[in-house]
Amino acid sequence: MHPTHEAQVIFGIDPTLYAGVLFVLTYVLIITERMNRAIISLSAACLMILGGVLTQEAAFEGVDFNTLGLLTGMMVIVGITKNSGVFQYLAIWSAKKVNADPWGILVMLVVVTAVLSALLDNVTTVLLIAPVTLLITDALKISAYPYLFAEIFASNIGGTATLIGDPPNIMIGSAVGLSFNDFLFNLAPITLIILPLTMIPIYLIWGRRLDSAPKYREKVMAYREQDAITDTRLLKQSLFVIALVLVGFTLGHQYHLQPATVAMSGAALLLVLNNFPLNSKEQSKTVHKTFCEVEWVTIFFFIGLFIVVYGLETTGLLEMLAHRVIELTGGDLAVTAIAIMWVSAVASAVVDNIPFVATMIPLIENMTETFGGTEQLMPVWWSLALGSCLGGNGSLIGASANLIVAGFAEREGQPIRFLPFMLAAFPLMLMSILVSSVYLYLRYL
Amino acid sequence: MTAATIMLTNPTVLKPTDLISTAARCIMEHRYRSVPVVDEDGCYMGMFGVNCLLRQVLPKAAIMEDGLENVSFIHETLADLHERLREVEDEPVTVCMNTEVETLPPDTPLIKTLLLLYRTKTSIPVVETGTCKLLGMISYWDVGRHILSA
Repeated sequence: MHPTHEAQVIFGIDPTLYAGVLFVLTYVLIITERMNRAIISLSAACLMILGGVLTQEAAFEGVDFNTLGLLTGMMVIVGITKNSGVFQYLAIWSAKKVNADPWGILVMLVVVTAVLSALLDNVTTVLLIAPVTLLITDALKISAYPYLFAEIFASNIGGTATLIGDPPNIMIGSAVGLSFNDFLFNLAPITLIILPLTMIPIYLIWGRRLDSAPKYREKVMAYREQDAITDTRLLKQSLFVIALVLVGFTLGHQYHLQPATVAMSGAALLLVLNNFPLNSKEQSKTVHKTFCEVEWVTIFFFIGLFIVVYGLETTGLLEMLAHRVIELTGGDLAVTAIAIMWVSAVASAVVDNIPFVATMIPLIENMTETFGGTEQLMPVWWSLALGSCLGGNGSLIGASANLIVAGFAEREGQPIRFLPFMLAAFPLMLMSILVSSVYLYLRYL
Repeated sequence: MTAATIMLTNPTVLKPTDLISTAARCIMEHRYRSVPVVDEDGCYMGMFGVNCLLRQVLPKAAIMEDGLENVSFIHETLADLHERLREVEDEPVTVCMNTEVETLPPDTPLIKTLLLLYRTKTSIPVVETGTCKLLGMISYWDVGRHILSA
């Protein structure tokens, strides 16, 4: 998206300076986590408008409603679907499929987490899988740490595979006009290599020592996964709608259906099906509960952030930065793509990848002309997606899902500490980036 | 009328060093819902009650924040639950006492006291203002007795 608005001079202050300082301050405040990130981004967005960098109309132009619609639609679908108990069913079923063998369970839970993260959002996935994991490890009398560690990796790697798996992909897909299939064909193959590779060190560090007495394994085998399904009718409706949405994502692009339209249509259909037999009072209650499942903090964070980045873009600062990056990489596509991947990975490990990607998108868009067009720039977009999604594995604060899992570990009395996690996770993340770099080079460069 | 008027002075108390097994026997024998835990200086520390015992026998994954909402797929026997309780019975009561129960100063007006009792649905410790000394407990039964005998 290129700005159509031109920044005005504010009280004699250069708008580039004003927007730049405001942007840096926003970033610093987000990193320090002294205040809720939605409050920070919305306040900064208001200051962009009040300071004259953007008019209200221009600010709205900067908001990517396709990203917001896709996120909100999927949150509604998942919020309704999870009430059916299908996710717990999957986790228990997979644990029993390996006869409650501790390493087998770890592998199965990793697969379930990765697949669900590819199709749903990571936070929801770990919110649903982590409690079952703790239940199983408690029953087996073994440490939950290796399981939770592996699930963090699985959620971020799985999320990398699709357009809807991770917010950076949603943002990149929306900005560049990439389809669900584009992500599936270009990013899913590498995640299928990275995930098993990641399991090797996990096995060597923890997996080979995982053991549980037969009497404890019997407890897990006694779980009746069919009892986890609380509402069969809802389950059928949800699976039907999710299947339709996936078909919509896969085929919709050729019929000019944006992902937000597909996700919102799915959400609307599921709301209709779910509420159809209820009276108006019950419907109000159910709909209210469903909308409470939407992570409004994330949505408002996005809105503010889009405006802040758009404000910065209108000043021309990102274009200047893009030229500087091209100078640094000598205008070589391969060097630029690989550099962006590594910088994105390291940055995403230490700062929230959402603001990082929001900033990088207009910066990369400014490189289009230099590299000869949109098609030629594709490796750079895949680099950004791989770096920012996989980089989330580098530290405990690298992705929201990591913090959710850490919260569960804390409540279970087996805390995941920042430094020990990073000591194991950061090298593993770098390994995944190295593999991605080779993949990118061989396939595109 | 204040909280001090209707509270039960010299209530049964537990020491922080009492074991969960001792505390469990105490609340089972006397059918108490909860008993205050008080240190050797008479300072109020928290409440130990039937909920603490239930918390020990339920899977942690079910009672934690954002934990499992549906646990109907778990089929455990009473022996399994007893085994889980045995694992913690030699721990002191402090490991699972509830420190978040609201306390009241003795000069709290009667209606405010009753409203808190109604809202919290549990006995309320009355603690001396400015110190942590337990002065008494207010339970449904004491309140009911006072009202009926008025």
